[in-house]
Amino acid sequence: MYLAEVKAWDIVRKQYRYKLKSYFSVFTSLIVIQLLAILFSFNGTGMGGGTSNSISYEFYYYTSDIILVFMMIWAFITAIIITTRAYRYDDFSFVTNRTISQVSNILFLLSASIFAGITVYLSTHLFQILAFYFKDNYSIIVDSLSFTEFLMGMITSILYIFLFASAGYLFGILVQLHKGFLLIIPTILFGGLILDGIGGNPTLFVNVTNFFGEETSFILFICKVAIVSSILLLASLGISNRMEVRK
Amino acid sequence: MNVVVCHDLTKQYGRSKALQNMNCTIAENKITGLIGRNGAGKTTLLKIIAGYLHHSSGDIQVFSENPFNNLKVSANTVFIDNEMSFSQGLTLKELLETAGSFYPNWNHDLALKLFDYFSFNPKQYHGNLSKGMKSTFNMIVGLAARCPLTIMDEPTSGMDSATRKDFYRALLKEYIAYPRTIILSSHLLDEVEDLLEEVLLIKSGEKCLHLPIDQLKEYAIGVRGKTVGVASWTEKMELISMQEIGANMSYAVIRNDRSIKELEDARQLELEITPVSAEDICSYLTSKTKGGIDHVFSRG
Repeated sequence: MYLAEVKAWDIVRKQYRYKLKSYFSVFTSLIVIQLLAILFSFNGTGMGGGTSNSISYEFYYYTSDIILVFMMIWAFITAIIITTRAYRYDDFSFVTNRTISQVSNILFLLSASIFAGITVYLSTHLFQILAFYFKDNYSIIVDSLSFTEFLMGMITSILYIFLFASAGYLFGILVQLHKGFLLIIPTILFGGLILDGIGGNPTLFVNVTNFFGEETSFILFICKVAIVSSILLLASLGISNRMEVRK
Repeated sequence: MNVVVCHDLTKQYGRSKALQNMNCTIAENKITGLIGRNGAGKTTLLKIIAGYLHHSSGDIQVFSENPFNNLKVSANTVFIDNEMSFSQGLTLKELLETAGSFYPNWNHDLALKLFDYFSFNPKQYHGNLSKGMKSTFNMIVGLAARCPLTIMDEPTSGMDSATRKDFYRALLKEYIAYPRTIILSSHLLDEVEDLLEEVLLIKSGEKCLHLPIDQLKEYAIGVRGKTVGVASWTEKMELISMQEIGANMSYAVIRNDRSIKELEDARQLELEITPVSAEDICSYLTSKTKGGIDHVFSRG
């Protein structure tokens, strides 16, 4: 029997298509979580109010912030889940090697992030409409976005979600490498935050969020997320290339 | 051409060695049986060949390449065992289709026919199958993949006897129609000996024997008779096994390389010479002590 020669990219494509089909439950959980997030957003994501002699007023913001945060957590957890043993073994029942397995996972996470980013935008509209019908609002002001603004908003959501997915992926791979990381990483993370805040003047968390959040140039923001995600994912690739399957 | 070449292959888990200085070659287009006791290192060896595990030292070549993390080896090898895991998100039918898209030589027609024959429900999921059904399904994947190197680790575990027979028949027919290198591991040599061309016997991580099956069947002879007679006749021979089988009666197993004169002597001592089946030879060769299980229960 002759030996078949296969092309790596061909197999990556096949693995990716296989993952889109077989990890379908990931998207079911996405919908459930978004419904939950809509429920939480229902009372407004921010409010304010005031009174003067004759009038009192309250205002509520209805934004997609909570939905986006939920999606970021969802991406983080999804990424961890697909690094677990059961999912890794599935790949090896068919043709693959470690790099291909990882690359197709990353492509899957990217597609899932894009999907999640788009649905964040869509579900924002859904809950704004719901709010319109179910709340006794006296006046509603809707920010209308230009097409570029809308596109920028969507891409930003996608990038934030992907950033969390990358972080989750590295975390998952580290835990697969050694169960000890399950303890070590949260300890370092939370310990660091606590130590940082002990002086009453926390800088660490603020700096990290400002690094992304305060960026005013859209291009620079894209670069930052791309670079940080790449570092996280390359680290996962490097680690997993040495891992054994099915002991 | 040799498909698998191992040279001083060692695999260590922590301090214990699962494989020790294993040297073996597996030739192309042969059915080789990998036989050994529980924990002899059969599965470890197969997983190293399939590229799942990294060896600790020594050298292994599959299709003249290192199998670990190797795409070419993965594409040309199918590894079937009962821990095979398939996605929970796909039905059995979809799994077959997916497997078909991955393996270059996949025969979908055969897969579907076997699938029907063993009356699988196309809409079922792999996780919900019984143990025997899982093994049967994995076997279908292994046969239909038509990989140049097909590795089956205890493929029949959990199957009922009718299914086992069907499986062996299917394997043989497929092999004759499309010859390929097949490595079959099993504890039950009896069942597979008609199928095998070669036997690779391993004992505690080391190669014990690697022989064509015909030679293995004639490898040893059994001697039965009075303990005194057996003891005196086999005095200068290397025993493979020696057992007491009753009052003053013993049974010894020795290499089948005695001269006619020696056999004549045995007859005069009223010793009975019997052939030993391949399965028994393997279990005598791999037993830890020469006395067998009886030794544990003997008093004094």
